[in-house]
Amino acid sequence: MAASIGAQKVSFSSSTLHSLCRQIPNSLAPRSLPAISSPILIKPLKYNSHGRGFFNPYHCFTVRAESSNGAEPRHFDFDLFTIGAGSGGVRASRFAANYGASVAICELPFATISSDSTGGVGGTCVLRGCVPKKLFVYSSKHSHDFEESCGFGWKYESDPKHDWGTMMANKNAELQRLTGIYKNTLKNAGVTLIEGRGKIVDPHTVDVDGKVYTARHILISVGGRPFIPDIPGSEYVIDSDMALDLPSKPKKIAIVGGGYIAVEFAGIFNGLMSEVHIFIRQKKLLRGFDEEIRDFLAEQMSLKGIELHTEESPQAVIKAPDGSLSLKTNKGTVDGFSHVMFATGRKPNTKNLGLEAVGVKMAEGGAIEVDEYSRTTVPSIWAVGDVTDRVNLTPVALMEGGAFAKSVFGNEPTKPNYSAIPSAVFSQPPIGQVGLTEEQAVREYGDIDVFTANFRPLKATLSGLPDRIVMKLIVCAKTNKVIGLHICGEDAAEIVQGFAVAVKAGLTKADFDATVGIHPTAAEELVTMRNPTRKIRKSPPAEVGYHPDHWQMTKSNYLKKK
Amino acid sequence: MSRKMLIDGELSSSNDDGVQYDFDLFVIGGGSGGVRASRFSAGFGAKVAICELPFHPISSELLGGFGGTCVIRGCVPKKILVYGATYGGELQDARNYGWEVNEKVDFNWKKLLQKKTQEIVRLNEIYKRMLTNSGVKSFEGEGRITGPHEVEVTQIDGTKLSFSAKHILIATGSRAQRPPIPGQELGITSDEALSLDEMPKRAVILGGGYIAVEFASIWRGMGATVDLFFRKERPLRGFDDEMRTVVTRNLEGRGINLHPGKNLKELIKTDDGIKVLTDDGEELMADVVLFATGRIPNSKRLNLGAVGVQLDAAGAVKVDEYSRTNIPSIWAIGDVTNRINLTPVALMEGTCFSKTAFGGQPSKPDYSDVPCAVFSIPPLSVVGLSEQEAVEQAKGDILVFNSTFNPMKNTISGRQEKSVMKLVVDAETDKVLGAAMCGPDAPEIIQGIAIALKCGATKAQFDSTVGIHPSAAEEFVTMRSVTRRVAGALKLKTNL
Repeated sequence: MAASIGAQKVSFSSSTLHSLCRQIPNSLAPRSLPAISSPILIKPLKYNSHGRGFFNPYHCFTVRAESSNGAEPRHFDFDLFTIGAGSGGVRASRFAANYGASVAICELPFATISSDSTGGVGGTCVLRGCVPKKLFVYSSKHSHDFEESCGFGWKYESDPKHDWGTMMANKNAELQRLTGIYKNTLKNAGVTLIEGRGKIVDPHTVDVDGKVYTARHILISVGGRPFIPDIPGSEYVIDSDMALDLPSKPKKIAIVGGGYIAVEFAGIFNGLMSEVHIFIRQKKLLRGFDEEIRDFLAEQMSLKGIELHTEESPQAVIKAPDGSLSLKTNKGTVDGFSHVMFATGRKPNTKNLGLEAVGVKMAEGGAIEVDEYSRTTVPSIWAVGDVTDRVNLTPVALMEGGAFAKSVFGNEPTKPNYSAIPSAVFSQPPIGQVGLTEEQAVREYGDIDVFTANFRPLKATLSGLPDRIVMKLIVCAKTNKVIGLHICGEDAAEIVQGFAVAVKAGLTKADFDATVGIHPTAAEELVTMRNPTRKIRKSPPAEVGYHPDHWQMTKSNYLKKK
Repeated sequence: MSRKMLIDGELSSSNDDGVQYDFDLFVIGGGSGGVRASRFSAGFGAKVAICELPFHPISSELLGGFGGTCVIRGCVPKKILVYGATYGGELQDARNYGWEVNEKVDFNWKKLLQKKTQEIVRLNEIYKRMLTNSGVKSFEGEGRITGPHEVEVTQIDGTKLSFSAKHILIATGSRAQRPPIPGQELGITSDEALSLDEMPKRAVILGGGYIAVEFASIWRGMGATVDLFFRKERPLRGFDDEMRTVVTRNLEGRGINLHPGKNLKELIKTDDGIKVLTDDGEELMADVVLFATGRIPNSKRLNLGAVGVQLDAAGAVKVDEYSRTNIPSIWAIGDVTNRINLTPVALMEGTCFSKTAFGGQPSKPDYSDVPCAVFSIPPLSVVGLSEQEAVEQAKGDILVFNSTFNPMKNTISGRQEKSVMKLVVDAETDKVLGAAMCGPDAPEIIQGIAIALKCGATKAQFDSTVGIHPSAAEEFVTMRSVTRRVAGALKLKTNL
């Protein structure tokens, strides 16, 4: 309440204010004032907060309800204060500002490695995730290209060598550029950027390194961070943040974990010619993915020389006098690693945010619990993105951020829709998928037809490399709808996107078949699958329809278990 | 009447009207359409024979090969060369990703060509085997139609075989043609271009179609100097104008010399190569001059005139919606009918023909929203209407969404080449009428989009699809703001 005490009550209607505000030269507009530490006299509400703007059927929450003592609506420094400027936070802030809300966002100072005191505008995706990872994938895939090109008549006098420093420097320059772009995007949208660590003081107040801001709504979008289990020698271990910022190439690396991060880094280091070992507790990589795809990827990875150690749990990391590392597991000890990387999951960044004190409920793993509109148990506090641990993908955080802004400031209650979310794993070869796995489909629909293709692409017949592609369509036998689509092989991620539109739109196998192929492509295979590889028939549960949200829960649970 | 033949001692197939034929179906031409129609018809229980000319990478009146243009002289070898050429750019791109590539990188054309030939020979064998496995009887030789139910095959040794068939299917495809200019015999067509002994150092290409731009990209990617001549202002007539501009810019950006609005006048043989004279008086020296000036249907030597099968002015066999010619027992599919000359369309026509003639399910090929790709480097791929077509046909407004972006790979490689994507939407119904992309992986990306278009997906359905990050394709589902709104040509003008 601190900042609101001195605020003048203004009796203009908000529309009057709005036009008044328009007449004020930009340089004088309240929003362009420096960071707010003293009360602002005129605080135009660019959206009408009276009587509309709030819809939520569960918490009938309005501005009026808040000032339940019958007083005039209280004043806030901002309509929205966002903590965390990653994909979700930036999206929500910009969109909210576009709806006319006054918005501030805080973010930790930039660093390539995240911690309690470092982060950076752009967040995990831009600085420690999708982007640098994909750049490394590009870099590492060149070694495969060189190998392939030999089959197409290219010859190198000496084998191309990789210079780690060049790649790192160019990667870091690109990250700097992107974080700059994100800052500009915020600035251009009129969002006030505050550098520092945000902590929630009360349902309408955020403290950033000692400065206090009030806001009508608070959005938590602080994301997640790699988690390393506490075993002896864990101090020698690197996580994905560090793996993206290593000073030199690992000679021999152990990657512990079988999720998408583990397989992506295995591909990267393998392509950059490190010796790579993966250690997983399970029998197979990529729990939650389609079984056939899991088997296929493991096979392709081992053909590239990645060594897979299954059913091995890490027990300790030991540093030898020569500086090399050994990984001790339940099955034995493997020596001689230059690096040991743990890709053993991520945890929501919910510590020291003041959530417990203010009454925001969290799940066991620390994820913030939210309703379908991303609202927490405290009506003025919302959360989007990885911190809520729903489906932890950038485009999903964007969707959640967009839906939040629309709901709260656009007067259009919007739930993010989690059905048929496509996703990719940038392993080598990559995976692209949308909809259900075969196992999920059987559980949910009973009767399904599975169409598969496993072939050697044209490129591989010339290159002579053992590269293959596997493709899979899962069709509901009753409705003929395509309910799952999986690809592992070159360009899988790019191929799947268009098919995701079709799956999301509920199209049938007949619709796929009616589409003419593009020749010669890999993707045409998906519209020319004539005969089912297998038909699975079970006595189906009565009247199972297509429940998009239902399967989302299934998938979400998978992700949570990881 | 010709001599009846009994094949493999089987009894001839009998017919509803009691007439006995050697075969239910005789197919002339073992390319994509012919092979598909034969196999599917056999699958429906028909007794099928097919004839095809002897295999040779370069086609002529007497040479061809099972697999046809697509497999032997088109899509497949072309794509192999495009792959080969793409590595040229990849090597450049690799440097900023930390790869020290020795300046001395050698490209061995002969090796690639040899491997290409190996691959098409392999595919040719696969096609033959597929036919055998489907129970189709294959003949090697030139087929001619001698009557509504009569086919004559001239074998390599000159002996002639005659067969009767209930139905005859013409699937003889098409062939590249040359312009009638002096010295045209010094030039080559795409057939030879796919089988050159030496890599040309200096290539001159005449033509503005997809074949012209694909070969320009291939040779340029392998390091040759390429000069591309075409009559219009931009290549790829018929494609979306904006996308044509993008392709033009990319070809130039990759170092191809463009000569819009120009033609070749004469070719002269010299010791230093071929001297090329242009219509505006310019002179160039070239190792290879490629004519990519269109293709003509292979309908001349089929004796169609005598049987009374109608051809159009261009020599294409005229057919109805079921691919039937004016002679009820004679049908035609694929390039020889000059409808949409694409392999997958020939396949569709072949399938529909089999269903109609032998499956008891009259089926018309559906030509709406046929996607296609141009394998230039980078490639172009489209489905549905171009902006111009959409505007021409629209009664209301057309919304154009455009996304021009620097592909992530280029942020580090430093390559100055933007990818462009486009959606053309009916403002009133929100239906996506056309989609196009020029950039890496465009053909792979458009295939799935094509399903959505074919089924009348709306822009809202595109928007409700979550993106795959980071990909290029995600742009197609994240185009939020309209680039422009254009009034349809058929829109009623009001006096308000």
